[in-house]
Amino acid sequence: MSYPVDRRGFLRSSGAATAAASLGLGGALTSCSSGKASTVTLTWWDYFTLDNFQPGMNRLIRDIESGVPDVKIERRTFPFADLVRQITLGAISGDLPDIAIVDNVSMNTLGGSHLLADLTSRVEKWGQADQYYKGPWDGCQVGGKTLGIPNNSNCLALYYNTAMLKSAGVKPPTTWDELASVAQRLTSGNRYGLALSAIKTEEGVFQFLPFLWQSGGDLNTFSAYGATALSFLDDLIRKGSLSEQCVGWTQQDANTRFLNQRAAMQINGPWQIPTLKKAAFEWDVVALPHDKQAATCLGGENWVLMAKSKHLDKAWEVLEYTQRPSVLVPYLVSFGDLPSRNDLASQGTWASDPALRLFLSQLPLARPRQYGTHYAEASEAVAEAEQAVLTGSASPSAAAKTAAAKIDKALGKQ
Amino acid sequence: MKRRHSPRRSFLSPSARRRRAGYLFCLPGMAYLALFLAYPLFYNVWTSVHDVELGQLLGGTERFNGLENYRAVVADPAFWHSVRLSLVFTLGSLLFQFAIGFALALLFARPFPLNGLLRSLLLVAWLLPPVVSGTLFRWLLDPESGAYNALFPAVGLGTLSHDWLTDPSTAMAGAIFANVWVGVPFNMLLLLVGLHTIDPELHEAAAIDGAGAWQRFRHITLPLMRPVSVTVLLLGLVYTFKVFDLVFVMTGGGPVDATRVLSLYAYEVFFTFFRFGQGAAAGLLLLVVPLLAGVSYVRRLRAEEEASAGGAV
Repeated sequence: MSYPVDRRGFLRSSGAATAAASLGLGGALTSCSSGKASTVTLTWWDYFTLDNFQPGMNRLIRDIESGVPDVKIERRTFPFADLVRQITLGAISGDLPDIAIVDNVSMNTLGGSHLLADLTSRVEKWGQADQYYKGPWDGCQVGGKTLGIPNNSNCLALYYNTAMLKSAGVKPPTTWDELASVAQRLTSGNRYGLALSAIKTEEGVFQFLPFLWQSGGDLNTFSAYGATALSFLDDLIRKGSLSEQCVGWTQQDANTRFLNQRAAMQINGPWQIPTLKKAAFEWDVVALPHDKQAATCLGGENWVLMAKSKHLDKAWEVLEYTQRPSVLVPYLVSFGDLPSRNDLASQGTWASDPALRLFLSQLPLARPRQYGTHYAEASEAVAEAEQAVLTGSASPSAAAKTAAAKIDKALGKQ
Repeated sequence: MKRRHSPRRSFLSPSARRRRAGYLFCLPGMAYLALFLAYPLFYNVWTSVHDVELGQLLGGTERFNGLENYRAVVADPAFWHSVRLSLVFTLGSLLFQFAIGFALALLFARPFPLNGLLRSLLLVAWLLPPVVSGTLFRWLLDPESGAYNALFPAVGLGTLSHDWLTDPSTAMAGAIFANVWVGVPFNMLLLLVGLHTIDPELHEAAAIDGAGAWQRFRHITLPLMRPVSVTVLLLGLVYTFKVFDLVFVMTGGGPVDATRVLSLYAYEVFFTFFRFGQGAAAGLLLLVVPLLAGVSYVRRLRAEEEASAGGAV
């Protein structure tokens, strides 16, 4: 694992010995920015490191700098897994941004940390809260306060290979039973009926939680409902419809299997659409099959402002500006993201692309992972239970019971 | 004309001045140690006896809680599981690294064409950053596209084809395998130096007396290699027990918790669960074994120096 070392932060935190050096650097910075006296420089952190995100992001920042008076954005990117860690370390070293775009699941960790600025009164004055989908908006509320604004939203759905289903004479599944039987029918040779990610990270949990919710349960009833969901997946593995190797697959890996036609169906998100459009075969996407109820997991990012920021007013002005349809639509389209606002659903590519429309139609069903400060421990318990069952080292009921004890311990003591 | 030191030039005697110069030369080193070793260690100890989580960090409400963090860590079954895994990983790695390293050292101790070239090539394994070796072995052991699972059946070892890293019962073996590969050159090199210190006349004399190759190895090489071997194993213990990057890259501690060694456990508590106090406590507990090994290594080194100094007189 690599830690991008911030030179300035490093110098600052290494104390007296380098005080002279950092003073020198500070002087240099001041002299640089003193060209325009009234310009405010806002630091901005996100995890969009891939090349294909840069044109859209650069455009957004240029747009902000020309649209919001006297503001300059200084952007820094981190690897996905490092962003929250870096913000946490910033809490110790004092090196924090003004604005950040964080994964929505990080609201659990950051929400209880006093790190995020309370936007409640600003949002009330702004009066656009009701424009957002419920799941994404709820995900920004922690302890009765608004701590963020949804940036984009996504959720999971079921992709299928049209030709494979046609030649097997089956329709896309809508219930668990149908999913099991269709997946079995589609399995042959080295082709699996279904691909999904069960890796031991939040990514695997993101894919597992819909099964738990569909069974009618939640993390606080994991012992019973977790067992139901786990044994459903276990059956898929035992019948050979799902590869046991999914315990090592990321969602990207699942998509690769689907693209190579080694899986007839896959559970994945809308961010795969641009890649899948280049596929040499026909595919389509439907809602996740339901059991007791329909559910999918909410992904995406939120904008947050840091409580320690010296320019909160300006940062909020920037945030508000980014939410204007004329700014937001081109930015989200360039990222291949879905909007979190229902007033944008009929704009951009979302109006015409059937796959995107399917995902949009699922957003009202998408649930945020909103479980509080110690969610990370509960999440790990879930991931370990799933891995134990799918690798055959524990029975679904035993694994669910073990996990339930850990989950209760983690979520109970907040 | 005789020159005498004027007392006005310095209050210090020449020897005291020399000593003062000595301290001055030490200063950069001491400053470095204080800044990058003592301070983080002290901060870690401080954190380990305070109730620090993310919430308290900014609220400034962390409070002294004595050994509470240590108690929580020791009461966690996952901690003891990771201690067991660390021991398995360390002992497994050391055993194979040492045995293979010793065999290779015996081989390279003899002159043969390309000896030097091959020896330096082997060292590459040790010079590679663990992140690179970890990634390499993750690819090699990949169940679908990995080279090993493709090669095993081709050379009649089809039974070895297996999802090494995704099966909880074999993931540790996979990690040890990679670490052995990393550690063998280091063992080989140190043992080779040791072999060169053995007087060849001993072997010649024994051979003249009719001792076979095995007898010479058993009664000459092994006893004379004892001090070097202990040193190599102690250093290996220190390196292996605290391993992090290799395992983190290969398995991330999984599947389930099959490879979550102590360092990964501490990392997880600290950076995933943000329980800073308990993470610091776990980190300090992780230090115990390498520290004991380190102390015993330094002691042995001193004893050896004294013994050889005595022998030289």
